[in-house]
Amino acid sequence: MVNLYQFIPEIFILSLILITLFFGLLNKDRAISLNTLGFIFLSILLFNYGKDFYSSTQLSLNTINLFVLSKIILSIGSIIFILLLKRPLKNENLYRYEYVLFILFAILGSFVLISSNNFLTAFIGLELQSLSLYLMAAFNTKNLFSNEAGIKYFSLGALSSGFLLFGISMIYYDTGSFTIQNLENFTAISEIGLSLVLISLFFKVSAAPFHIWTPDVYEGSPTISTLFFATLPKFASLIFLFRVYQELNISDIKSLNYIFQMVCAISLLVGVYGAITQKVIKRLLAFSSINHIGFMLLGIMSYQFMSEGTLFFYLIIYLITTFGIFAVLLNLRTVDGEFTKISQLNGLRFTSNSKSISMLVFFFSLAGIPPFAGFFAKFFILSASINDGFIFLSIIAVLSSVIAAFYYLTIIKNMFFNKLEIELLDDNNKIGKVIFITSGLIITLFFIFPDPLINLVDNLFK
Amino acid sequence: MSFPILSLLILTPIIGALTLSLSSSTQLKNKTVFLSGLWITTGEFLLSLLLPFFYDKSQNGYQFIEFHTWFDKFDINYYVGVDGISIPLILLTTFLVPICLLCSINSIQNRAKEFVIYFLLLESFIIGVFVSIDLVIFYVFFEAVLIPMFLIIGIWGGENRLYATFKFFLYTLAGSVLMLLAIIYIISKVKSGNIELISDFTFDQQIELVLFLCFFASFAVKVPMFPFHTWLPDAHVQAPTSGSVILAGVLLKLGAYGFIRLSLPFFEFASIYFQPMVFALSCVAIVYTSIVALRQLDMKKMIAYSSVAHMGFVTIGIFTLTQDGINGAYFQMISHGIVSAALFLIVGVVYERHHTRLISDYSGVTNVMPKYSFFFMVFMLSSVGLPGTSGFVGEFLVIMSTISVSVYLTFFTAIGVILGASYMLLLYKNINFGDLKSDIKQLTDLTNIEIFYFSCLAFLTILLGIYPKFLFEMINKSISLSII
Repeated sequence: MVNLYQFIPEIFILSLILITLFFGLLNKDRAISLNTLGFIFLSILLFNYGKDFYSSTQLSLNTINLFVLSKIILSIGSIIFILLLKRPLKNENLYRYEYVLFILFAILGSFVLISSNNFLTAFIGLELQSLSLYLMAAFNTKNLFSNEAGIKYFSLGALSSGFLLFGISMIYYDTGSFTIQNLENFTAISEIGLSLVLISLFFKVSAAPFHIWTPDVYEGSPTISTLFFATLPKFASLIFLFRVYQELNISDIKSLNYIFQMVCAISLLVGVYGAITQKVIKRLLAFSSINHIGFMLLGIMSYQFMSEGTLFFYLIIYLITTFGIFAVLLNLRTVDGEFTKISQLNGLRFTSNSKSISMLVFFFSLAGIPPFAGFFAKFFILSASINDGFIFLSIIAVLSSVIAAFYYLTIIKNMFFNKLEIELLDDNNKIGKVIFITSGLIITLFFIFPDPLINLVDNLFK
Repeated sequence: MSFPILSLLILTPIIGALTLSLSSSTQLKNKTVFLSGLWITTGEFLLSLLLPFFYDKSQNGYQFIEFHTWFDKFDINYYVGVDGISIPLILLTTFLVPICLLCSINSIQNRAKEFVIYFLLLESFIIGVFVSIDLVIFYVFFEAVLIPMFLIIGIWGGENRLYATFKFFLYTLAGSVLMLLAIIYIISKVKSGNIELISDFTFDQQIELVLFLCFFASFAVKVPMFPFHTWLPDAHVQAPTSGSVILAGVLLKLGAYGFIRLSLPFFEFASIYFQPMVFALSCVAIVYTSIVALRQLDMKKMIAYSSVAHMGFVTIGIFTLTQDGINGAYFQMISHGIVSAALFLIVGVVYERHHTRLISDYSGVTNVMPKYSFFFMVFMLSSVGLPGTSGFVGEFLVIMSTISVSVYLTFFTAIGVILGASYMLLLYKNINFGDLKSDIKQLTDLTNIEIFYFSCLAFLTILLGIYPKFLFEMINKSISLSII
């Protein structure tokens, strides 16, 4: 008899999906508030009883903590996202309740992915997540770029899923098991299989050199979908990557370890070199996210020193910053529609105090300049990696962040130094405003009150 | 002392900046904004004057210590305290910031509120650098200084300000990240960021050399030393007068302060090992930049290059590793902080009236602006190193201490003094003497405010020149501890 207790979060989301399917037809707004409430309930549930759900399993305490914390983060992220999405979708005449469904499916997929102990379950989770993402990319059916983004994302994503399946079957052929655990008596076939699995995961988190889809998909999709791609599914895939790295002891397998380090270094460099020349802000953010993925991979590799806390801390700060930046972007419009170019930000300082100052905080934080939280995130990752002996990668990481500072500064330059040319319209989205001001405050005040956030991460890993 | 004076020093400007930023922007006039900024910074100055009064010169180590755990898990603490080395620099900072605000009341017309806010933030970050005795918090403040400075140059700078401010930011950042790696490595070895504990720790010699170079990269850019100095002339020329003042007066001292506070006590072996390199670079800096300064057409650029040359004396003095040398270097730092700040103000005065910085556009200024010429002369002579002014004491001590190292070194440093005299005198002659040009005639002499702050600076210059003992009394003990 299977113990259903551990599936409560997934079952909960599934029932939310079913309710939304029926209810959403009648009233879209109600469906949204219902989902918000549902996720709030889920976060509280996970926060208080999360560990009990898994107590009947044989998982180690660390893994349980990992599940609970990442699921809490995912549900809180979903709350914010669902609250935010109404206005931007309405602006594009895309306000349909299916969009919420896609999010729910993607989150369900992410949940399954994170807590799967079996390659096949992981594959199902990943596919569930990805299929919703393809649809979200192509959601603006009247826009050619959005269609292009969807098709591009779908075809490349399908290819990477093929890699994943092929890799899984190779591992199965070699070891006779689908379980994600430390491999014993494996041969080169397993190594190749695992490298294929890794490649597919690198594709999902858009680590270079498997990143080519990222800028196009980011640019073509509706901005609200871009926000989603950049945050929650990526977070889930990264956690799964972390689990694969940890459970399969990839640090002991020389060839895979080598691949991991190479991908980390290439991501760090490709991210910054790609971003320098970009004129479109979403493309720039895409490349900048590749650079940050490099840092996160570094965090994954050096988890031994300070446990998962370092990686999680970086991820949380990165999520907060990304939500903040996109909340600002979604709140700005040109007369003709969505604003896209960096140069359109010129002189934002003169039209909006709160937006320009929040953006200043976010970009300095992404660049890793103290006293903002982004500095501490990088600081902890680098501490961990230096302690674990990745000196060369650390040097690449800090030098890449110097180059990264250049294009973040360029955006700040546009907002603060350049003259106002075309005034951007304020979308007056109250929720968006609350989100970016809150995240700006968190990023700034972390310097003075670091304890709440650190303790949150810490307690869950005790 | 239980009174948290150092935290108060850091927080006062920040709180001031917050209050200013929360006040409604449309209602406030520029004057009101500047006046409130002046009140805050003057209060800060008075507060910082308490430090030398209550500082016990007979004791070793840090005083006014405050300790709070910050990141419990990583053993990073908010740990501040001052000793003889930091107090004069804190005073210099709090003294120069009100002057910066005073001198920009008229020249900064747009976005005055932001200007004052950035200056207040800058002040508190700089003070944070000087008071922190934990490596991480030192680094945090050291880097945070870049943000307001970047904005000040970028918003109120000259035509080519974007290039200058980007160069400034990226150069400094590139140096600093290497120091960050070194700091992380040190903390992972020593298991603490406490500066005193790290000083007692001995590293493996090979590693110590690498660590030294990492710190060196950061401080050498900040000082700036010879091959890394190119950002400085650009930044100075493009910055508004007040930006140049704070840049030359205080920011350059952060690098030298870092050498004295961190590099020497941490890496004793490496300091001796790299002594010749530092001497060579500094000699080149002194001779080469002095010659470059001779050929400059732009007044600000000339003074900027002279800054590089003067900071060359400082690095030479520090790396003689003798008490006299470091004393002299430190004295030169303070003196240069006052004199170069004053010289940039001097340039600012005529630039505000005549809107050009080219030396050839001026001639015979002394006919219309006698008071101006007087103050110019005081600072020019001090920069040259005339006995009786503050410039003399530092240079003399540094040159004297070099004799114990090598006569050649003395030779090159002494050449620097001569070259320094030649370009400064040339600058003074070209601007103040000669035929009175027709468009110079309408220039007005110094206003009362300008006379006020120039007299303060001139008074300090001469006081330090005649009676340097009170500064030495303050620093002697702390410096003797840092060489060992």
